[in-house]
Amino acid sequence: MAETHSLQDLRQAAVASKVFVQRDYTSGTICKFQIKFPAELESRIDKQQFEETIQTLNNLYAEAEKLGGRSYLEGCLACLTAYTIFLCMETHYEKVLKKIAKYIQEQNEKIYAPLGLLLTDPIERGLRVVEITIFEDRSIGSR
Amino acid sequence: MPVGLSVDGALGYPSPSRPFRPSRYVPVSAATAFLVGASTLFLCFTCPWLAERFSSSIPLYNVVVFLFTLANFCMATFMDPGIFPRAEEDEDKEDDFRAPLYKTVEVRGIQVRMKWCSTCRFYRPPRCSHCSVCDNCVEEFDHHCPWVNNCIGRRNYRYFFLFLLSLTTHIMNVFGFSLLYILHHTKHLDQVDSGVTMAVMCVSGLFFVPVAGLTGFHIVLVARGRTTNEQVTGKFRGGVNPFTHGCLKNIAHVLCGSQAPRYLGRLRKPHSVEVQPPFLRPPLSEAQLEAKAVDNGIQQSKSSLEIMESQSTDADPPPPPKPEHRYPGMPHTQNEECSLLTEAPPTPSLYKYRPSYSSPGKNHTASTHSSKMSRGNSMTESPSVPVTTGQPSYRSDPSLSSRGGAGCRGGGEGGKAGSGGLGGASTFGGRSYPSFTDTLLQSAAASCSSSLRSAHTAHNALGPLISEGTTSTSYKSLANQTRNGSLSYESLLTHSESPEFESAAHELSPPRPHPPHSLSTAAGAPPISGYTSPFLSAQQREGSLQACPAPLRPSPNRAFLRPTSSPPSRAPPLSPRARSLGSPPPGPAPGHTPLGKSLSYAGGAELQHRPSSSGGGTPMQNSTIKQNVANHNTPSHKPVGGVKKVTGVGGTTYGISV
Repeated sequence: MAETHSLQDLRQAAVASKVFVQRDYTSGTICKFQIKFPAELESRIDKQQFEETIQTLNNLYAEAEKLGGRSYLEGCLACLTAYTIFLCMETHYEKVLKKIAKYIQEQNEKIYAPLGLLLTDPIERGLRVVEITIFEDRSIGSR
Repeated sequence: MPVGLSVDGALGYPSPSRPFRPSRYVPVSAATAFLVGASTLFLCFTCPWLAERFSSSIPLYNVVVFLFTLANFCMATFMDPGIFPRAEEDEDKEDDFRAPLYKTVEVRGIQVRMKWCSTCRFYRPPRCSHCSVCDNCVEEFDHHCPWVNNCIGRRNYRYFFLFLLSLTTHIMNVFGFSLLYILHHTKHLDQVDSGVTMAVMCVSGLFFVPVAGLTGFHIVLVARGRTTNEQVTGKFRGGVNPFTHGCLKNIAHVLCGSQAPRYLGRLRKPHSVEVQPPFLRPPLSEAQLEAKAVDNGIQQSKSSLEIMESQSTDADPPPPPKPEHRYPGMPHTQNEECSLLTEAPPTPSLYKYRPSYSSPGKNHTASTHSSKMSRGNSMTESPSVPVTTGQPSYRSDPSLSSRGGAGCRGGGEGGKAGSGGLGGASTFGGRSYPSFTDTLLQSAAASCSSSLRSAHTAHNALGPLISEGTTSTSYKSLANQTRNGSLSYESLLTHSESPEFESAAHELSPPRPHPPHSLSTAAGAPPISGYTSPFLSAQQREGSLQACPAPLRPSPNRAFLRPTSSPPSRAPPLSPRARSLGSPPPGPAPGHTPLGKSLSYAGGAELQHRPSSSGGGTPMQNSTIKQNVANHNTPSHKPVGGVKKVTGVGGTTYGISV
């Protein structure tokens, strides 16, 4: 029994380190993350893939913060209903955040987890950093 | 309520419970009482007559305006202004004790400083500020409003602004219609209705002036794209606001932007993805393989490096940090712009840079807690460095320079004091840091030289305080530092940010042996007169850029190592030089991309380790090794006495007497 437990434990990877991809403020306070490839990931993931992920995230955040007709209508509606509309309706930003969460989940499942990495939704960190957890590559498999 | 109620951060984890202070609720209670009370009285006593006499649409209109005012008031009061959750411990480990107090980022061509928040444990994003009343960092912090007992920040500024507009309108309506009533009831003023109406008129008349004033003030702020905090601290006085997008766009952003999400109180979904070995590995490119081979010769293997660099080390000294590590909040080192931010001029002006040095030592691991303390303590440092009050540095800190100095988070008291001065200098230098919109490299070079120059100016004025506020401030701290030679040394040691230049600068502070001639001539370089904000306008930067003597390269550490006053040439590997100078630093790992980041990193870690490695004979291990710019050690560690000449970027030469 104990052995089974320990085997199970061994199967679960241990966290080796974390990389934090910081915000890119060169265009102002809009939510945008740096595309720079962190050194720690050099041997873990393809640079292109990483950049693509971050770029997609940036695009999604840009969509969330876009000042368009949609956000304007939402604001007007909210005003007219004395903001009670927020009780029933989800804001545009929240909708895009859900989309982002789904995207990150998908990326994790398809690309990052097999490489021993895990992306954390930046909203959990106040949209300040994208946290990438690097798991220990123990090919010990002491079964 | 989906909008995220957060009363005093009660729903948010970041705000620890604070003692209940009833006095905080007095203004908001009074405001609510007056608003609701006066409006209700008006609607009950005055409006019936108005409806009869004129039209029933008048009371309806007043009710609508009143409800709108009340709704905005409630939103402004109860909505989370954009509180940042406290950073978790693992994120903090990157910014170790020797990380600088400030990090600089370039926002649309203008240098902006991000200050380390010791409470929330992260570098405050631009426009973010820590509210002492709420004890939270708030995004796009405007101010803390006692009348709603809440911070006004990114998420609720719109409601606050609309509240002001609607309240002004409502007060005008109430006053106007009450006046109308009174004018029609001059012979019946003894009636209850008239009495109440007169009272309501008085109250509304009384509140009209301050409310209208505040509304007008905020209309101007919205049009200019500034926050109250920025306006009041004079951040953009004489400078350029990098956050404005033009009047119309600013207004659109406030009124038509999508409701920003709250960061607190979110359901944290646990990762449903299981991560199990064995893991795939991407095929290494040729360049990577080559780098690995080279790396192995100098430092530990890449993988161990990565691990060590990313983690906060407990026991083993992490290998020299890779440049990418030290990045948080700064542009890439690889890009030209990095050099702008990461390079530190070799002159005392480096002190100024130190705070603006962006890369916080990622991993410096080790060391002592002093840096942590100093980081926190730096907040208290400002009083020691008076002057600069004119300079609104970033956010609430009254003195940029002092903060700048405080940027050097390492060190003990003396170090702090010294760093304060240095910081001030750095700040000053930071201000003169040119902002570039075009050639980053040029700008980097220019910034280095300009900071150099400004630093130099500051230092030259060591005796008498320099006229510039910042420089005087930095001077004072420098003076403090000088008094305690060991302290200054210590502060030098503990300075985290800038690389060799900063350490050189520190060492130079007591005596100023060889001011570089180029610098002295450039000392007259455009003073940042009247410029109190931390943002440099393009023109100012251009000016300094032109005055810049030599283009800077991204290997300041190398130049630094060179013990002669020859112009900085990128030159020769540090290690040999370092050794010749008696210090052991291995020099930047060849595999590392240089500069800026590693530099700053090196500065910090290296400095801290200085005391541990005596006489430079000991090979740098630990985090100092990480600092590839180990050459910092060189000057400070010089075992024997005498003057060591150190060349910094821009051809500045300092003689460091040890």
